[in-house]
Amino acid sequence: MKQEDVIKIQAWLDGELAGSEAESVERLIAQDADARALVAELRWTKSALVRGELERPVPESREFYWSKIERAIRATETARQAVLDRPWVGLVLRWFAPAGIVAALALFLVLPILRQSRQQPWVAGAEIESPLSDVGSITFRSEAEGMTVVWVNTH
Amino acid sequence: MPQKDDYAARDDDSLVRAAKQGDMAAFEELVARHRDKLYARAFSMVRNEEEAIDLSQEAWVKAWQKLGQFKGGSSFLTWMTRIVINLCLDHLRKQKHPVSLSIEQLDEETGGVERQMPIVTIDPTEGLTQEELRRRIDDAMGKLTHAHRTVLVLHEFEGLEYKEIAKRMGCSIGTVMSRLFYARRRLAALLADLQQERQQ
Repeated sequence: MKQEDVIKIQAWLDGELAGSEAESVERLIAQDADARALVAELRWTKSALVRGELERPVPESREFYWSKIERAIRATETARQAVLDRPWVGLVLRWFAPAGIVAALALFLVLPILRQSRQQPWVAGAEIESPLSDVGSITFRSEAEGMTVVWVNTH
Repeated sequence: MPQKDDYAARDDDSLVRAAKQGDMAAFEELVARHRDKLYARAFSMVRNEEEAIDLSQEAWVKAWQKLGQFKGGSSFLTWMTRIVINLCLDHLRKQKHPVSLSIEQLDEETGGVERQMPIVTIDPTEGLTQEELRRRIDDAMGKLTHAHRTVLVLHEFEGLEYKEIAKRMGCSIGTVMSRLFYARRRLAALLADLQQERQQ
């Protein structure tokens, strides 16, 4: 059987096919023994699942489980009440905080462009040249001593 | 102020109405009444005790906040189950996905391996007690990947159609069909293995 056929058989079994598509699957099931075996397997799997969800009680006492919910509800209610008592807090959080973030972002993006336009080298954008191209170094780090030694060789 | 016993005698609708007016004791009764079912559903999806407890509790907090939106078009439990499932789906989405998939996992995702699995001709669940059947299905469900288990839970336990599952999981209907097919076939093979182990 083709992959397309087996998926259609499943869709037929789940009641997701109608009309000519359903009829063509029914014909296939009537003619093909493998298709019939697949239908039987899918059927018992489906019925086993319907009957077979395990009952699983919460592994906490009623009081303890509820206490955590109650605490969370009271915390959110207190926060909401604080906003209701001081409406300007809500206004600040809703409008000014995002506006502040946008302004900071704009400043961060525009500042380097302004600096470049004035032909002032900007540290983060400038290439750093080192005159010590033939200098070698060896670094030793001792975790036990909490010490790092850097040996610089200029020759 | 009504006593605890009074709340226990009231039906869900009456408790919901009271909770909407801010009666927290009525809400507590609803929690006590349905907490096991919601926890079980969360556990079915995330397969972790602590996470299932946290997610089910988060669902109750959310429900309290959104209680005004519950119009009673479905039962309160159905409404609550929807909330916990959405939280579980978000939680699973946020979890880190493995950087590399094993060949078997890759086969599962692309949906090729299930065609090679032999069809289980004898129903291995026949003759089992309800409790035994449930335990075996639970064991087998635990061996599936999150994606396959989620599709099974949404389709078989929640009775959602392919289209709705695709919407909830953020994937195509084709992927839902393929995952569901793989999950069922793998489940059949796992149940058959469990029966063989038992017979030996």
